[in-house]
Amino acid sequence: MLVASLGAISQSKFISKNAYISFYSSTPLEDILGESNEAVTILNAETGEIAFQALMTTFHFKRALMEEHFNENYMESTKFPKAKFNGKIDGYNSSILSGPVNDIKVTGILSVHGVDKTITISAKLGLEDGKLVGLSNFKVIPENYGIKIPSLVRDKIGKEMEITVKANYLPFGN
Amino acid sequence: MKIKYAIVLALVVIAVGAGIGLKMFFKPHADISKLKAEFKLDASALISEFELDENAATTKYSEKILEINGELKSKNKMQNGTDLLILEDEMQGISCQLDSVWASANQPTIQSLQIGKSITIKGICKGYLMEIKVSPAIIVNSH
Repeated sequence: MLVASLGAISQSKFISKNAYISFYSSTPLEDILGESNEAVTILNAETGEIAFQALMTTFHFKRALMEEHFNENYMESTKFPKAKFNGKIDGYNSSILSGPVNDIKVTGILSVHGVDKTITISAKLGLEDGKLVGLSNFKVIPENYGIKIPSLVRDKIGKEMEITVKANYLPFGN
Repeated sequence: MKIKYAIVLALVVIAVGAGIGLKMFFKPHADISKLKAEFKLDASALISEFELDENAATTKYSEKILEINGELKSKNKMQNGTDLLILEDEMQGISCQLDSVWASANQPTIQSLQIGKSITIKGICKGYLMEIKVSPAIIVNSH
């Protein structure tokens, strides 16, 4: 149903159903890296709006125990299953979609662990080998999103977590 | 003598504790092929349930092992080498990322899969994000 109704605007939206998102933190004991290849992002070519969503449970860690702690203790994935970002490219002009990969800024609301914050992130967007790609790398402070980290491990984990995002966009509806 | 016993006991407790701790720390990821499915259902029925009430379906199925039967719509290899199967609907169906260990041992099965045919997969349901995400998954039956 939804797919049929999107037919008329197929040229103005781009989607990636298997976007990459990772979460990285360095600790003296070992580095913590959670990765997901199942994020969904939609880019509106007319307005420059970008929506990005990821299911917390799809983050995969090297150790099963890390995955458990991430979902149960920190992100509370049953209560807050999704992380979302809804933003707009600053000073958007649709011509950037047909040019080479360029630096952009995106301002919007990042919603993690049930907490909404307005942020501006640096990103890259443009054509790479004829395909529209989006990349971003930014830092977040878990405490800003009400994520409690026990004091026992707090000193050992970096204050900021590094988030990396990569998406290969395809025209919607094809 | 008493002190000796106390020391031995303490050492045993420490050794067992350390053993349990290490085992927990190095606990492997779940092996889907050896686990039993909690729910067996048709892809279309599962999709309807998520469309009807996403929150209720997420609570019911998220992180549970599902055995799902449906029509194979597409088969792709992702950039990182993971096999990706999509059931029922290309855009809003069921997305299954195959378990990499299982997939490397079962390449002939994956290669023989035919688009449009019925297939049964087993995997962990991760919830709903435009489509139902199942990973990691294995193929139980293909026709």
